Amino acid sequence: MSIKYKTLSELKELLEKKDISSFELVEETFKNISSSKTNSFITLNEEVALTKAKEFDQGECEGDLAGLPIAQKDLFCTKNLRTTCGSRILENFIPPYNATVVENLSKAGSICVGKTNMDEFAMGSSNETSYFGAVKNPWDLERVPGGSSGGSAAAVAEGLVCAATGTDTGGSIRQPAALCGITGIKPTYGRASRWGMIAFASSLDQAGAFARNAEDCALLLNHICSHDEKDSTSLSNDKENYLENINNDLKGKKIGIVKEFDISNLSKEVQDSFEQSKKIFESLGANFVEVSMPNIKLSVPTYYVVAPAECSSNLSRFDGVKYGYRAENVNDLEDLYIKSRSEGFGDEVKRRILIGTYVLSAGFYDAYYKKAQQSRRMIKNDFVKAFSEVDVIMSPSSPSSAFKIGSKTEDPIEMYLEDLFTISSNLAGVPAMSIPHGFSKNLPIGLQLIGNYLEESEILNFAHQYQKNTDWHIRNPDFGDNS
Amino acid sequence: MDNKTVETISYLARLKLDKDKKDKITKDLENIINFVDELQDINTDDVTPLANPLEKTAPKRKDFVNSKDRKEVFLENSPQSDQDYFIVPKVVE
Repeated sequence: MSIKYKTLSELKELLEKKDISSFELVEETFKNISSSKTNSFITLNEEVALTKAKEFDQGECEGDLAGLPIAQKDLFCTKNLRTTCGSRILENFIPPYNATVVENLSKAGSICVGKTNMDEFAMGSSNETSYFGAVKNPWDLERVPGGSSGGSAAAVAEGLVCAATGTDTGGSIRQPAALCGITGIKPTYGRASRWGMIAFASSLDQAGAFARNAEDCALLLNHICSHDEKDSTSLSNDKENYLENINNDLKGKKIGIVKEFDISNLSKEVQDSFEQSKKIFESLGANFVEVSMPNIKLSVPTYYVVAPAECSSNLSRFDGVKYGYRAENVNDLEDLYIKSRSEGFGDEVKRRILIGTYVLSAGFYDAYYKKAQQSRRMIKNDFVKAFSEVDVIMSPSSPSSAFKIGSKTEDPIEMYLEDLFTISSNLAGVPAMSIPHGFSKNLPIGLQLIGNYLEESEILNFAHQYQKNTDWHIRNPDFGDNS
Repeated sequence: MDNKTVETISYLARLKLDKDKKDKITKDLENIINFVDELQDINTDDVTPLANPLEKTAPKRKDFVNSKDRKEVFLENSPQSDQDYFIVPKVVE
């Protein structure tokens, strides 16, 4: 039996009916990974995964996700399993503890088969900045899978695993989900613990999930989200059962279309898919309302002050002393810091550290960092106002479908604009997701649904209703004609 | 953004740029700063800066030891350690 492209819920059912054992499932997963050409994984966890599968088969392990193989983005610390964050500086780092998200998924019985490739320290939108090589898009191996969680997205899209974790600082779950034709969700800031997530920009980073559909994402969020005393920004609100509210009628629901998101200059296919999806939601009883968010156009410049500032501060911990890469042949302690960091970080990470250092430096702090924090509030206020009028906001997930590897690496700003539609949700901290909703020349296109604070269920419901009435999400790279 | 500024911030960040990449990075940084300069034109009078999207303040907890001392485990991750210490190049004469 082929397990490729099966959903999490389908595999769960096969296990429950004993049509397949967890051992067979995990063994087959590694077989598929070994013949994959996408470079989705940095480190495999074969021995431990097979042992855990055997334990499940012998009835020694329980939970909502028991016996199911999943992949973890290599940004989450995994106890006794190498965690690189896509960087040379952590090439040999073996954490002595699990991230809370990893611990939660493990407690639910899931089996981690390996750590997925990613842009170095999650800084990138194409997965090309990884020290471990670019990830390739399973729909076209000459193209990028998006980033930064490109390995997780590609692994799910290729059918290697039915689910994977990701993190999203400015679109790092939604943009790769869109470019790989799968479903990905970033919950409200603070809903999932950041403990054990290697920090990039602490006020923006949020863990989330990739799967083949919204229902599976809901199941995963049930375990990914939790209150955690170890993360001071973790929300203590009661956790929902995200599966409970995904079968609600959309009649009378209001969908906001952002006036300032100009899609008229995007490709015809992106525009056509967007119009088609509007019709589908209309046929399900939802209404469209234009909302004005005048400050949303400031999102990308605001982000490229806030995120590098936080990154320069967070990444100062990598100094070659307590863990990570240490340069050889150094003269003194300062030389050790400089050489270890210079040899350990790649170019994009250096660029962002330098921008962050510049905007935080004396004389520039008010002009850049404070100014960006002020515009961040203005963007947040736009969301608060919009959500007083509508239930969800809808936009394309990314300006285009997957681009050729190497085509945007020379111009950082062109790459930054990949996240044009996704960044504002991170600045405001609201939940958002991407679902597949069409194709452009055989390459998937994503639709973004943004929800109000803590209304993950609302966007999951919209996505699930959409997927019950469309088949974009069941297409895969072997599907045949995707025109 | 000139070479001198890039040198200063590189030093502040404890980074040394490769000679052959320096010009490109300087140009990239200049472009990025020009790009974010759009923010200078907006009116932010009376707008309170927003640092945390949910504006939560860090909760307080009781100050007690809640995990085992795992000194050895953490020292093991160091590129160089000896007994109770991380080893670095000599800092005092």
